[in-house]
Amino acid sequence: MRLIISILSSSLRSSVPLILAATGGTFSSRSGVSDLGLEGMMLFGAFFGVYGSYISGNAWVGLLFGAAFGAISAMLHAVMHITYRVNASISGMCVNLLATAATPLLLNSIFHMNGKSEQVTAFSKVNSDALESIPFIGPILNSQSVLFYLTIILVVLGWLFMYKTTAGLRMRMVGENPQAASTVGLKVNAYKYFGVAMSGVFAGLGGAYLSLSQMDLFVENMTNGRGYIAVVINAFGHYNPLGAMLGSIFFGFFDSLQTVFQSTLPSQLVMMAPYLFTMLVIVFGMKRGKAPAGIGKYVDN
Amino acid sequence: MKEKTMNIKRHNAKQAILTSVLAMVVSLVLGAILLAICGYSPIESYIAIFGSSLGTVKGFALSLSQATPLLFTGMAFAIAYRVRMINTGAEGQLYVGAMAAALVGAYVTGLPSVVHVPLCLLAAALAGGLVAGLVAFLKNRFGANEIILTLMLNEILILFTSYLANGPLKAEGSGVGQTNRIQESAQLFRLIPQTQLTIALLVGIALAVILQLVLNRTAFGYEIQITGYNLLAARTAGINAKRTYLLTFAISGAVAGLGGAAMSLGVNYRFVEGFSASYGFGGISVAALAAYSPVGVILSSFLIGVLKAGAITVNRTTDIPVEFVSVIQVLVIIFVAAPTLIRSLIALPKKLAGRGKQAEVKKEGANS
Repeated sequence: MRLIISILSSSLRSSVPLILAATGGTFSSRSGVSDLGLEGMMLFGAFFGVYGSYISGNAWVGLLFGAAFGAISAMLHAVMHITYRVNASISGMCVNLLATAATPLLLNSIFHMNGKSEQVTAFSKVNSDALESIPFIGPILNSQSVLFYLTIILVVLGWLFMYKTTAGLRMRMVGENPQAASTVGLKVNAYKYFGVAMSGVFAGLGGAYLSLSQMDLFVENMTNGRGYIAVVINAFGHYNPLGAMLGSIFFGFFDSLQTVFQSTLPSQLVMMAPYLFTMLVIVFGMKRGKAPAGIGKYVDN
Repeated sequence: MKEKTMNIKRHNAKQAILTSVLAMVVSLVLGAILLAICGYSPIESYIAIFGSSLGTVKGFALSLSQATPLLFTGMAFAIAYRVRMINTGAEGQLYVGAMAAALVGAYVTGLPSVVHVPLCLLAAALAGGLVAGLVAFLKNRFGANEIILTLMLNEILILFTSYLANGPLKAEGSGVGQTNRIQESAQLFRLIPQTQLTIALLVGIALAVILQLVLNRTAFGYEIQITGYNLLAARTAGINAKRTYLLTFAISGAVAGLGGAAMSLGVNYRFVEGFSASYGFGGISVAALAAYSPVGVILSSFLIGVLKAGAITVNRTTDIPVEFVSVIQVLVIIFVAAPTLIRSLIALPKKLAGRGKQAEVKKEGANS
């Protein structure tokens, strides 16, 4: 019983950064831009989250920094792909490569440390006695950080925006058929920039969750491919925020099974599991997923 | 007619060279600004970097040995990009290549060097080629995205080789994760004694020339180019695109695997876990700088090698971080991919000045 509770609560914990990044991915994809830069935006978010908390002593300021710099790094992808029409795979990879190259440099010049940063103020668990007293799900929910609840709210808001508002409908139209959207007078590029910026905000939050909630410091390359996994989850969840959330919890559950095998198998083999699982999903799990038809398309004036 | 196409070719080549040179220069300038922001004198740093890597024999040898793995991974990215496939998996292919070469080098005994070394190289190429071939197969068969697949495979292969080097294949009595030392007959000949510069460099250069000839002079190379330029045209011409993807990507992986062999057989004399300083991803910028031409990669990998070697040497005496070279490498990719971005950047001060002038003119107009 205790094992089940610990697995479930740890799967929710490891799914939060995936939920955030994959939801960001839905914004990008729905506006017609590939989301391959999530990994880099997350890594920037993780670093600047710690930096914000370091200079202010407040984890919430850190979270805002993470979101802001996630969006700023997303602009590199947006400018290259939307304005200068570079292949989105290349521009997305540029964000990722820049993040892996620049964060050690920033670590060195701001913290004067190699490999990891100083410890900073981080988010704490909810820890309410009322919650704890609920049987079974009480302990699971109680071991989550405040950000878990914030994440759920953000995903629902994202879904409402995308499917229940005019602006969301227009953004999806841009993603499906930019030419038609342009004909009816929509500013195609503005929607695309918005979609990419939102993907940066969400991915930045996901990165900040890693550095300010799962840990309380920045470690070099701490995202460890989660951004790429989020790209897969985004497609797996049919480019829908709610799908992204369910997909992420599924991945998070698989991730947390690692703890079960940790004592019996060599650590490297256990650590391979999430990547192998992702590969299997890419190969066999994508048959029904249909990407927005306008991804990578431009409007010719 | 032939003259006309030659002219277009020459024009394109000129344009590509101009783009690369501009990208390199702008990236170096931005790198200088970055150094200044971090509190180092940019001019002194660059003099120290280029002075140490070009001025002494040791430094020059270090530049070339730093360039060697990048030569291989750069070629790997370049050749795959010719069919518009993106091989972000060079890092993983490098690791399996290094492991395969190290195992054949350590456990196959009693061979003369002329047989043993090629055998190791063949094992590395096969290992890298099989891994990349699997990715291309999955792309062909299931429409899977090769970028995500190769990135996932990187993590898997790095962890798996690390498991082997720490577990069943660990060298006896070793404190770190590494395999047994390779036989003397498998060690690569050193071009300059007491440096890490080996004949792997010459193998790489020869391979670049061969790949370029294959691209330009053979039917298969023609198929690669057409498939890359225009898939529809290729299909109409009866080219089996899937077969071309598979073969080209496998070749790309094999080349990256050879880069791993160069490290195992020439530098470490065994497989050491975590040996690659991100050579796989470094190959992307090397390839972009070379405009995806295998022969061009010889020059571009040398340039990046010079920067890296210089940064390593300078880092020993000052605290200029080596990572700033990786930032320059990424900037290079950005500017090669978006050459118009450079023009906008160069025009930016002019534009701002122009706006200022316009504002002044408007003011004057309003005053009179």
